[in-house]
Amino acid sequence: MPALANDDFGLHDDDVIMDEAVDKAIFRSTIMSSQDDADYGTLLRMFYQRFFPYKMYFNWLNYDTLPNKNFFNREFSFTLASDVYLRYNSFADAEEFRREIERLQPVKIDIGAIYTAKPKDKKQLRPQAFQPVEKELVFDIDMTDYDEIRTCCSGGAICLKCWEFMTIAVKVLDEALRQDFGFKHLLWVYSGRRGVHCWVSDETARKLSNDSRKAIVTYLEVVKGGAQASKKVRLNQLLHPSLSRALDVLKDYFPQLILEKQHVLAEPETWNKLLELISDQVIRQALDERWQADPTRSAQAKWKDIKQQLLASNYNEARAETVMREIIFQYTYPRLDDNVSVHINHLLKSPFCVHPKTNRVCVPIDPQTCDSFNPLEVPTLARLHQELNDYNSPYGSGKSLSDIEKTSLAPYIKIFDTFVNELLKEVRDQKRGKSYGVLK
Amino acid sequence: MFKQKPRANRFAEQTQRTLHGDAGQVRVHSAYPSRLNFYLVPPQYEITVDEFEEFALDRLHVLKALEGAQLRNKSREESKQQLDTVSDKYLPLHSNQAVKAHNVFEERRKDHISHFILRLAYCRSEELRSWFLRQECALFRHRYENESMAEKHAFLDDLQLDWKVLSNEEKKEIFEELVSASAWHASQYSGQNVGLKERAKAFVESEGFFEVNFERVPELVSRRLVYIRNGKAYVPMSEQVSLVLDEFRNRLSKALEVTAKMLPRMDEDERLMPVLNNINKQYLGKDYGAQTKGTAGAVTADEVDSLVAHFPPCMRHLHMSLRHDKHLRHGGRMQYGLFLKAIGLPIEEALVFWRRAFANMTEDQFQKGYAYNIRHNYGLEGKRADYKPYDCMRIITSNPPSTGDHHGCPFRHFSSQNLEEMLFRYGVPQTQIREFTNLVSEKHFNVACTRLFELTKKLQGADASALVRELITHPNQWFEASYKSSKAAEDPNAMQIS
Repeated sequence: MPALANDDFGLHDDDVIMDEAVDKAIFRSTIMSSQDDADYGTLLRMFYQRFFPYKMYFNWLNYDTLPNKNFFNREFSFTLASDVYLRYNSFADAEEFRREIERLQPVKIDIGAIYTAKPKDKKQLRPQAFQPVEKELVFDIDMTDYDEIRTCCSGGAICLKCWEFMTIAVKVLDEALRQDFGFKHLLWVYSGRRGVHCWVSDETARKLSNDSRKAIVTYLEVVKGGAQASKKVRLNQLLHPSLSRALDVLKDYFPQLILEKQHVLAEPETWNKLLELISDQVIRQALDERWQADPTRSAQAKWKDIKQQLLASNYNEARAETVMREIIFQYTYPRLDDNVSVHINHLLKSPFCVHPKTNRVCVPIDPQTCDSFNPLEVPTLARLHQELNDYNSPYGSGKSLSDIEKTSLAPYIKIFDTFVNELLKEVRDQKRGKSYGVLK
Repeated sequence: MFKQKPRANRFAEQTQRTLHGDAGQVRVHSAYPSRLNFYLVPPQYEITVDEFEEFALDRLHVLKALEGAQLRNKSREESKQQLDTVSDKYLPLHSNQAVKAHNVFEERRKDHISHFILRLAYCRSEELRSWFLRQECALFRHRYENESMAEKHAFLDDLQLDWKVLSNEEKKEIFEELVSASAWHASQYSGQNVGLKERAKAFVESEGFFEVNFERVPELVSRRLVYIRNGKAYVPMSEQVSLVLDEFRNRLSKALEVTAKMLPRMDEDERLMPVLNNINKQYLGKDYGAQTKGTAGAVTADEVDSLVAHFPPCMRHLHMSLRHDKHLRHGGRMQYGLFLKAIGLPIEEALVFWRRAFANMTEDQFQKGYAYNIRHNYGLEGKRADYKPYDCMRIITSNPPSTGDHHGCPFRHFSSQNLEEMLFRYGVPQTQIREFTNLVSEKHFNVACTRLFELTKKLQGADASALVRELITHPNQWFEASYKSSKAAEDPNAMQIS
């Protein structure tokens, strides 16, 4: 265990906990070798050994190919199978990172901020000498925030019907971040179960202060208010350009997703919830009575009824349209977990983790083709194992490929490679620009 | 080194000009061409230690008034008026038009010096720095908004801030977007009879725009009040104050950190450090020390329980804990004991009060372990100092309570759940509890306490605005305000006398 060899004298508390945890994990996997738990352990070992893209992962977080402070001052946190949580790990390079991952077999890896010093030295440092300085601007969109509007599933469960909420979120936020804020390097990642993460990795994004992060998040947030508030969207009649652009996306999805797939207007309980967004009680009642009387009325027709009723009740065209927009936004606009984005030292689950419950890999999503992304088809550990065996069996096609390329993980890795290569290219161009500057 | 050099030279040049100006017939002093100041150059005048302290305290008066007005949701007009009064009293600063009637140079010199003294006093911790930064920004904003257009322009020209102004062609290109993003501004500035879109169009047509990085105007970005493209925000010129303020905030924030790093070198100065240390702890109103008579006259041990209704939440909590546990640990005895002393509990009664309170204790234990301390607090033992009751700053910032302790500030030291329970017991409606938790999360403990005072007194039917005009920064201030108002209610004539 190389990590301990250097530290003959003052054992860190963390180290002790760590090794106990490793022992426990090994112990558990030996006594339960026939159960799923152990299967997960073995498969995870295979994953870390043969599939985790260490090199590109390092190049990403290092923002260069030679190790620098972007990487060695970066905090990584690990959750072990025994539920032990280890914070403030840091590594000199890709190799050390790999060794530690393969030794600990974490069930979850979190990425934190880049600090002014190495996070593993935190305890020797004065608090002022250990401050977070940079981190990607991150976003976390979780399906549980949609529980009040989705009718198909709840909690941790997802299906293809509600996944569309995530597709909308990716599209809307991707456009806003690129066009409004000028960011170029966005990595969208499936969180392994029921949500998506976004890592905005431009240099300007990494250097944003907490205040600027907060400003961006508030700018992007449209759906506001807790469980107590029913009306969570208030729009101006004159829509801000960013929201007009979002509305174009939302309008594409709303009829299909909310009216057809989620059946929001099919039952009195859910339609009344939607009608609560109209402040005028008379209108609400009129619509409710009309729909109660005609159970076969189609959702599309009911949707049209709302606007008609508004216009019939002294709403002018602009005001009626604003109410309709508010409904669309409340039912489809992305809902953000703002704490994750606002604080620079907040941790977020790393891409290429394997979700311990679903066994699915947290793979990148290409925002250009996010419509066709299917979370239920994301490779699981068992499937990767199977694919590898199939390929290596005598009946496989037998071409010599890397392990990744033999499996369905390949296309996702390709998205990641493209993302990282674009980042590296920019860094190279910048360096060149700088050296020209010196020559002048 | 290299960066600092030109600045030092510029300053030398400026002092030269100053001297010259004194001798000649220059109307506006060249050291301070405007009453607005970015405080880029430290003052290099000789002042007395007394002046040093006086200047600092005067400025502090203004900053505290600002804080009070801002946070108690006073209307713009109201707080402006209040500020003008306080400024005139403590830190008058007349514009260039008034150059004949007032000694503008002296005023600006005082403003300049006092700012830098408070920088020294308030750079020590993150909490102090952020408080100072907030108040100074508010003060700057207040002054900037009061300034005439011409003065503003002259001031900005002097600063040489490089903001890109959108050319007509560029404006034409993004005209539609600017219009769509101007809903709020349009509704603020134009006539009411035309449609919103028409008004927005008229607004954009007549308005000039700056192009700046979006990080410069976080406030406008988060409220979606400006058009943003490719990381650039297009800020209407009428929002210029946001930009100036951002510039001011950034520079001051950096300067404060630099000052904090330099401060240890000043520790050797025996004259200034005590003053500085005193300033950032300074309570501006009364300190309720020995010279002041007990607020409620002479209070007997028996009367304490009947006065609890006038106690601020921290003291009420200590009292309840004392009654419940029949004991209080040291921190609590100090905080509560000195408070009682200041409301008028004399030493003889204090000994009776505490003796009875510690009901589970033998006489011997009490005499040996506690009586000495009580006499000590009243200046009868040891170095015979007459101790002052703790103010909020001290309660909030020093000696945080640990297990078994009940002292401290409920707003600062209670868990949010316990705080909510306490507020609930005070009868604060559920809808307003959120306001308190927000204040507390932003560290406005005094403001929260003041709000609670206003609210509870309002619940009892008193006219809150008449009770406290400033922020509560001392537990005895709460007591005094509450006690006097109840006396006044009993006897309407008493009001006029006090």
